[in-house]
Amino acid sequence: MAGIAIKSLVKTFGSYTAVDGISLDVRDGEFLIMVGPSGCGKTTTLNMISGLETPTSGEIVIGGRVVNDLEPGERGLGMVFQDLALFPHMTVFENIAFGLRVRKMPAAAIAERVMEAAEAMHIKPLLTKLPKQCSGGESQRVALARTIVTNPAVFLMDEPLSSLDAKLRVDMRTELKRLHERLRATFIYVTHDQAEAMTMADRIVVMSKGRIEQLGTPLEIYNRPATQFVAGFFGTPTMNFLEGSVIAGPDGPRFRGAGLEQPLPASLSRNSEGRPVVLGVRSEHVVISEAAALPGTARLLEPLGDATLVHFDAGEGKSLVAKVAPSTALAPGAPLKFGFAAEHCHLFDAATGLRHS
Amino acid sequence: MSRPPDTGTSLAAEAARARKRRRERSRRVTRHALLIAWTGFIAFPIFWMISTSFKDAGEWVAWPPHWLPHAPTLHNYAQIFAFGALDPTLSRQATEQAFTIWKGLGDAVLVCTSASLFALLLGTFLAYAISRFNVGGKYFRHTILMIRMIPPIVVAISILIYYAIIVPYVTSALFGVRISLFDTYVGLVLIYTVTTLPFVIWMMLTFIDEVPYTLEHAARLMGAGRVTVIRRVVLPLVASGMVVTFLFVFILNWAEFLLALTLTHPEVTTLTVLLNKFQSASEGRLYGPQAAIGTVVTIPVVILGLLIQKHLVKGFSFGTIRK
Repeated sequence: MAGIAIKSLVKTFGSYTAVDGISLDVRDGEFLIMVGPSGCGKTTTLNMISGLETPTSGEIVIGGRVVNDLEPGERGLGMVFQDLALFPHMTVFENIAFGLRVRKMPAAAIAERVMEAAEAMHIKPLLTKLPKQCSGGESQRVALARTIVTNPAVFLMDEPLSSLDAKLRVDMRTELKRLHERLRATFIYVTHDQAEAMTMADRIVVMSKGRIEQLGTPLEIYNRPATQFVAGFFGTPTMNFLEGSVIAGPDGPRFRGAGLEQPLPASLSRNSEGRPVVLGVRSEHVVISEAAALPGTARLLEPLGDATLVHFDAGEGKSLVAKVAPSTALAPGAPLKFGFAAEHCHLFDAATGLRHS
Repeated sequence: MSRPPDTGTSLAAEAARARKRRRERSRRVTRHALLIAWTGFIAFPIFWMISTSFKDAGEWVAWPPHWLPHAPTLHNYAQIFAFGALDPTLSRQATEQAFTIWKGLGDAVLVCTSASLFALLLGTFLAYAISRFNVGGKYFRHTILMIRMIPPIVVAISILIYYAIIVPYVTSALFGVRISLFDTYVGLVLIYTVTTLPFVIWMMLTFIDEVPYTLEHAARLMGAGRVTVIRRVVLPLVASGMVVTFLFVFILNWAEFLLALTLTHPEVTTLTVLLNKFQSASEGRLYGPQAAIGTVVTIPVVILGLLIQKHLVKGFSFGTIRK
């Protein structure tokens, strides 16, 4: 069992900075997910933790030990790769046994440990097969069995589910979560899929352009995004954004822009007034009702089954999305009235993207 | 596919289809005729070599030519495969000099096998370094092939000077022992290794590039060192590529003539050099034994090809690894 501390980690490739000085504490036994668009530096960070990349500067501490100068194999890690990296010329048994063979473990002990791991991942019938004879889900289990067999204190996973089809991916999420619960090891999981991050993580690290945008629990990140980037990255459909500025109203601060005015939470600090800002509202917090104040025109309806997405014009060519009950009577072209729930309005600085609160 | 309605137009369509069929057939016939003619053109020297190898002296240059030997004989083979002094019954009026194949065959097998193995070993590791660490920069792999564009004759003489003059002089001056590389197995193996290395590197690069580097990363994370990674993961995956490369290089060496001719005589004699001796023999041209040797030289290459056919297909299709 081991926690990980990352201190001012930097990685540059020539003139390109992939990781720009990140610091991070991963708690022992935590399921931490690093999420961000491709090229945000999440995989590079993972590779530096694993030892496959050498940091340009900064320090990595695993279980209280600085590992910068340790070989990947000496760090006590297990890793699952995006392409799984099963050895195609070895049987499933040999694939799982590889790490133990390298450690020169006696053959009887190897057989026992491989059996245990295979049992745990329900792949015993596959042991004599070659990786190419296994299905996508089976290969996934083999890769996991190969990783757990050496009892690593830390598991690193680099988008391991990205090659699976949608249904299998959801099943494997549950399985991974269960595995984490059973092993109580530290998991660091990299993905670009925000839904994956939300469902599995204890804490999420959102990265963009080599920096950490926000670190927090899934709900913190969803409910109080620290930057406009984080707000836009999480949630489907993407959060609605409106540009404007904050003005002082009779009953507290108000947002004015895109041809509309919206009262804001009273808790908003006074010095936001007059600054250019971006108002963010999630689709489920856009209210469409006769009692609402603002006029719009429905354009497109997307029924999801449990809800319906209404794309509508909010004036000045601004298109917004609302998530409403599935039994809506709206039709494309119909006029509607909408409003935002003040307590669910997020306000970001237009220049820096940082949250006003 | 839409067919015209079954009326008068269908007759025209039928005729058009028939014309198309005829055109296709005549095209096919022409194509095959051309290919057969070309095959005959290519295969004729081989046929003529084998045929001549069974002819007696009088038939070698008979006019009109004897396509097949009128009096087939194994004389030529008996002569080239003879052990020790030539049996008087095998000796012909014109052939007092004995040309047995054993020395040439032995030398060729020894030199070609060891040179090809050395080149394969060196080249595989060099290719690994180039593929994984970008040794030499981005264009190094192309530069390597360029080395082979220099005609061998250009280097042959300078190598000869090194082998026969500079190396002996330097070694005797430095160590007091005169070591010559001229006309030695080591010398020939060395030059063959060097000349085929670019091909080995080039071919092995294509195979090693195919091995996903995540396999190596996975192995290293499980605690394997670089050597173990290469031995247990990379080499098994490029094994069939290595077999193909070995065969290719072996054939190159087996057929090499110019360097062997320049850098050896009389101690080391490869088969190609041996073959050449028949040309300049003062007794005249001995086409029979020459053809017999030619036939024998071709056989190992064919056998090797058949033995590793499976690997050859696998190797050349580059489909060994499913990603």
